Amino acid sequence: MALLVAVGACARDDADGTGAAGDGTLRIAVPSYPSSWDQDFVGFDPIALMLYKNVFPYLIDYGVTTVDGAEISDTENIIPTFAESFEPDAENRVWTLRLREGVTFASGNELTAHDVKWSKDRAFAAQANVAGIYRLIGLTEPDQVRVIDDYTVEFHQAFPSALTREIQAISLYVFDSQEAQEHATDDDPWASDWIAGNPPSGGYFRVESATQGQEVLLSRNPDYPGPDPAQIDQIRLTVVPAASNQRLQLQNGDIDVALGMSQRDVADLRELDGVAVISAPSNEQVAIQMSVETAPFDDVNVRKALAYAVPYEQIIANVYGGDARPVQSLVPLDMPGYDERGYPYTYDLDAARAALDEAGLDSVQAELVFETDNETQQQLAVLVQSEAAKVGIELELTPLDPGTLAERRNQKNIPLQITSGQMWVNDVEYLLATSLTEGAALNYSNYRNSEIEQIYEESHTVVDEAERNQLWLRVQELLAEDVPWAIICQPNFNLPVRDHVTGWVQPVDGLARLQHLSSSS
Amino acid sequence: MRLLRFVARRLLQLVPVLFGVVIVTFLLVRVLPGDPIRSILGPAATEADVAAAQARYGLDQPLWRQFLDYLQGLATGDLGTSIQSGGSVGAELAVRIGPTLELVILSLAVALLLATTLGIWSARRAHRLGDHSIRVVALAGNSLPDFWLGLVLILVGYSMLGWFPPPAGRIEPGTGLTTITGAELVDATLTGNGEAFLSALRYLILPVATLSIVITAPLLRSVRASALEVLHSPAYTAAAAHGLPDRLLRRGYLVRAALVRLPPLAALVFGFGIGSTVLVEFVFSWQGFGQWALRGLLFRDYPVVQASVLVIAACYVLVFLIADVVQAMLDPRVRVDG
Repeated sequence: MALLVAVGACARDDADGTGAAGDGTLRIAVPSYPSSWDQDFVGFDPIALMLYKNVFPYLIDYGVTTVDGAEISDTENIIPTFAESFEPDAENRVWTLRLREGVTFASGNELTAHDVKWSKDRAFAAQANVAGIYRLIGLTEPDQVRVIDDYTVEFHQAFPSALTREIQAISLYVFDSQEAQEHATDDDPWASDWIAGNPPSGGYFRVESATQGQEVLLSRNPDYPGPDPAQIDQIRLTVVPAASNQRLQLQNGDIDVALGMSQRDVADLRELDGVAVISAPSNEQVAIQMSVETAPFDDVNVRKALAYAVPYEQIIANVYGGDARPVQSLVPLDMPGYDERGYPYTYDLDAARAALDEAGLDSVQAELVFETDNETQQQLAVLVQSEAAKVGIELELTPLDPGTLAERRNQKNIPLQITSGQMWVNDVEYLLATSLTEGAALNYSNYRNSEIEQIYEESHTVVDEAERNQLWLRVQELLAEDVPWAIICQPNFNLPVRDHVTGWVQPVDGLARLQHLSSSS
Repeated sequence: MRLLRFVARRLLQLVPVLFGVVIVTFLLVRVLPGDPIRSILGPAATEADVAAAQARYGLDQPLWRQFLDYLQGLATGDLGTSIQSGGSVGAELAVRIGPTLELVILSLAVALLLATTLGIWSARRAHRLGDHSIRVVALAGNSLPDFWLGLVLILVGYSMLGWFPPPAGRIEPGTGLTTITGAELVDATLTGNGEAFLSALRYLILPVATLSIVITAPLLRSVRASALEVLHSPAYTAAAAHGLPDRLLRRGYLVRAALVRLPPLAALVFGFGIGSTVLVEFVFSWQGFGQWALRGLLFRDYPVVQASVLVIAACYVLVFLIADVVQAMLDPRVRVDG
């Protein structure tokens, strides 16, 4: 054993030079290795999706704006990146995408309208992520995407939509279709096997190397044609699943950025020399969704009782260390149309008891579900359980693993569940589409209000901002009456970094754009 | 010849065992609550999208059809396609199993060496200070959770002393190692890459130490008990009374006889080691088979779960076969029946 220790000790000396990054390299720890390189067929995997934002050629992307001194994605300013322009006709129905000429993939193949067409056809064929999201803007058939010439593509939507730019900002990525087609077979016409295992040809960054399960090395794409190119030469993404290890490595200077640490670890890190915590307002919402179809929460008064029993300020102070924003609407803060009349519930046990009386109940019992291994949700659940018990709402805490959670959500039999996440599109229509209308995938409350359904339908074709805000105001009034969620807060995003790291831009979709990062050392 | 026949017969017996494992796993993974399909579809997915994805992975077929397809795939060496990644399960398994086997086999080797040396040394000094110390250390090793032990070793070895590399992967980047088996030490040896060999060795030290400390304890107790039995046996006493040299007594009488119980126990411990890698790999960012299997299980990735259980079962039965053969070689009373 002594010999082994000696080998370790000697080798450590050798490694100090090679392990440390040079000036042009940032080392980022991520909690897991991306499950696939295929964006169309990938399972929901935040790390993979984040990586795609940086290595796939996206034709348009968000600009940057400043809120409270922090830089965040500017959802009202979507700029062409690999594209030259993306503009609608007078009716906002036919959108023309004009490509820059002479842009090449890493293979040397030119990026043309045919790549866009092939990539969109593939997305429709996959019937997954993009195909689903395109429905919101009236794109359902491959025929609606038309090649006009080598550098021009038209998208013929079934109806005009105010969401188009934002939906396309998250969907307009392209594959090197020539290269992919070389690996297509009769059984696999979309080259899924090949694409799953081979990194794409380059967005802001190219994939220099990828060691399965361990690390991905990115290098700045020298052929990136648009504004805002990558600031750093190389980024080494290393898989470090344990948050405690990310913390130690950040402390020791072996990594520069830790993507995947808990609130508690981040709080401790603030005091350390050489480490900084970048904080930015986020649109992540934390809520308890109450199933409006499951007793006893099928009674609106019981939902109100719980909404009054949640210790909002205590949660922000104790679970988030004060690093979260209180909210007064199911529409997130910073989303156009947010109105404070949308959630009139505060921590008030007398009001909670009164609401329970109104429902004709002395006490109720229910299950509160949260994600296994999610320390924050667990703390939150314990606090809610304790306060709710004071008014006679007895909660049984049930942590569930991802598979079981997905199954039970599908069966729609969870009375109460803690949810946290953010909208990929900063718009109430998208919020309604994904979370608050009948059949929506994230509508775990099984909520349905016919007036909201009507407003949602109407909103598809309304593009005027003032008119849309009127609709959203009514939506928030209805949600305040029906209270399908106890909306808790919007925690800020905190990113622990070495203090030489600068240039973080908080992404609206939670998927880091690494091109903004740089090192002052 | 007789040994070869014994091995061949045992290998044939594995077929029905593994077939049983295939059936049970196939059924169990589908009985478990959980939906692998929803996780690959976006929030705006419709029932038609769900149906299309199910059809893509053959999950729309009746169970018997799915099973037959699975068996047909197995017969041709096709373990299926991962629902999470869309990649071939066989290819993913190939890069994941090597590093984990390397970790477990090295840990077992270190543990066997430690257990044999310390166990016999301890027995020869029974009830003296050295013996008591070793027994206390073994007891402590047995009761330490591997997860916690790994964290402590990282804290001391990496963070405080700075002797070991960060717990981030299995080899330093830039060593230019060509992957053949996925097991870095083996690949470095096969390709004669000295730098990669040293680097992989450094990354292995703490995880191997963690795992071997945990599995040494039961082996050590077994060796010590066997050695004590031998020391008190009439044959050994007689040999000692005849004044045989100490070295001959140790090698000819004590060591071989004391090791007789070890192979089946080592096989059991090997299985325990494979199971422990889930946590050890997590702590050391090892990203081997354990993490892959766990992720498959968490997301109900049926083909991944089926393949990982089958591989564990195959490892178990093969290791027990090896244990039986080794025991037969060590113990003349055991006869292999060809």
